[in-house]
Amino acid sequence: MSGHLFALVDVNNFYVSCERVFDPRLEGRPVVVLSNNDGCVVARSAEAKALGIRTGAPWFKLAPEAERHGLVARSSNYELYGDMSARAMEVIGRFGAWQEIYSIDESFLGLPAGDEAAAVEAAGTVREAVRRQVGLPVCVGVAPSKTLAKFANHVAKNNPGFDGVCSLGSLPAEQLRRLQERLPATEVWGVGRRSGEKLEGLGIGSIADLRDADPAWIRRKFSVVLQRTVLELNGTPCIPPIDERADAHQIMFSRSFSQPVTTAAEMREVMTVYAQSAASRLAARGLRASVVTAFAGTSRFAAGMASNPTVSVPLAAPTADPIEIVRAAVSALGGRVAPDAAYARAGVVLSGLSPADAPQQEELDLFSALGGDDDGHGAAGGAEAGPELSDVLGRVKSRFGQASIGIGRGGLAEPAAWSMRRQFSSPRFTTEWTDLPVVRG
Amino acid sequence: MESSEHAAGTVRPKAATGFASPAGDYYDGGIDLNRHLIPDRTSTFVMRVAGDSMAASGISDGDEIIVERARAPRPGNVVVAVVGGELMVRRLRHDGGGGALETDPLPPGEPAVERIPGGFDVWGVVTRSLHRL
Repeated sequence: MSGHLFALVDVNNFYVSCERVFDPRLEGRPVVVLSNNDGCVVARSAEAKALGIRTGAPWFKLAPEAERHGLVARSSNYELYGDMSARAMEVIGRFGAWQEIYSIDESFLGLPAGDEAAAVEAAGTVREAVRRQVGLPVCVGVAPSKTLAKFANHVAKNNPGFDGVCSLGSLPAEQLRRLQERLPATEVWGVGRRSGEKLEGLGIGSIADLRDADPAWIRRKFSVVLQRTVLELNGTPCIPPIDERADAHQIMFSRSFSQPVTTAAEMREVMTVYAQSAASRLAARGLRASVVTAFAGTSRFAAGMASNPTVSVPLAAPTADPIEIVRAAVSALGGRVAPDAAYARAGVVLSGLSPADAPQQEELDLFSALGGDDDGHGAAGGAEAGPELSDVLGRVKSRFGQASIGIGRGGLAEPAAWSMRRQFSSPRFTTEWTDLPVVRG
Repeated sequence: MESSEHAAGTVRPKAATGFASPAGDYYDGGIDLNRHLIPDRTSTFVMRVAGDSMAASGISDGDEIIVERARAPRPGNVVVAVVGGELMVRRLRHDGGGGALETDPLPPGEPAVERIPGGFDVWGVVTRSLHRL
């Protein structure tokens, strides 16, 4: 029996909500945030969703109609999103027995089990605190397992009557049953479209059907992963902390430690290793990142002080350079490791992902040629930095400064003007002294 | 670590007169303004003011202000308010209903209470003005 309930706290329309904090005129209007280079839609406000705008829609197709619909576009401003994410995550972490950051805008939080009213109150307090302190709207789902917490969050988000908080323990059984019968199994966390089709073929269409399926049979027909999902839907928590995650929006690498980490020096080593792991997954997928988020947390079972620092570091330009990513992760947590805390877990999230585009690819080819890959298939190994060269670059940079040497454009002090199109970008309100929000006096 | 020899490039404060510093045995390189001006890094924001209608309160055109979102606004506080989608720095006044916003210009201007027909939200409470001299 677990001593905790799981709360899933996630920011509504995170990127758009960040824009709205500093530009309240965007409140109530359809807003989309565009990918790097202003290519296509990566985030939408509720109003933009209501217009039927899809994620991934190319901006050039929307632009002619934008004015007629009052649609506002913003270039992605990862400096802003990264900083706002770190603020929100830190506030959220203060309210739980433990925190597990799941992405740039989602976090699991441990609340004490056994007192439903207290859990509901805590969830409401978290929601109010993030709203008031950071200015971001969040929804909270509370349940005895992660999968059910995700489901509760979905309910809270899609039913205005819940006022942003849904705890399954407070839901009348009848209402819960109706909700689970109405929603398709593919709405369950971790059930993909393919599994959904197969389930459908076996007569399992709704969440309720999946919940009532025989776990052993599901394991035989599908996998142990889906079996866990069934158990979780029945209130048995069995999904371990999520160590790795890679999707269109982010790459995460995190681990629990076998021994607690208690010093800043050890944490630097941890960050170096984890950031490299995240960076190699980034490179393997042919992507670049705009923001590095580093986090660490104390154990929910430990008696000592609780500390859950989260820090986001925006990168000067999107990069796949493992050296830059490692540096960012190490410096992020640098000053934030509490001297008396025993950390049980840490991780690195890379977000603001975009494909390594043409000019970047040339650099990588050059890189691999320099790295000694002379078999004529440079491009294949191009995404992985050769260890010797990385080392040399790292040493030169530490001696002469970050902009002293780099690969191709990476060696210029300023990112090239063509490196990223950000025609509709808001200022870097919270990370640059020259970009502070202007208030009328 | 502590020695009477001068380490190159390091100047240590002398424990001369007056009060003992609470950090006397731990000199960490000077005053960290962040520590004093930013009580909570999650909820503290810096903004830049454009306009002089709060100059008599020590907030002039071009000054930076520190805005705290965690603090509950009280009548008499200088706040950043959201008025018609715009961020505005004003003094919050109690006004029976939803409150009112007041300017505080230098003479010959007069403080003016602005009643906001559609109401307004308080974005945060201004705790400091970084006034340029």
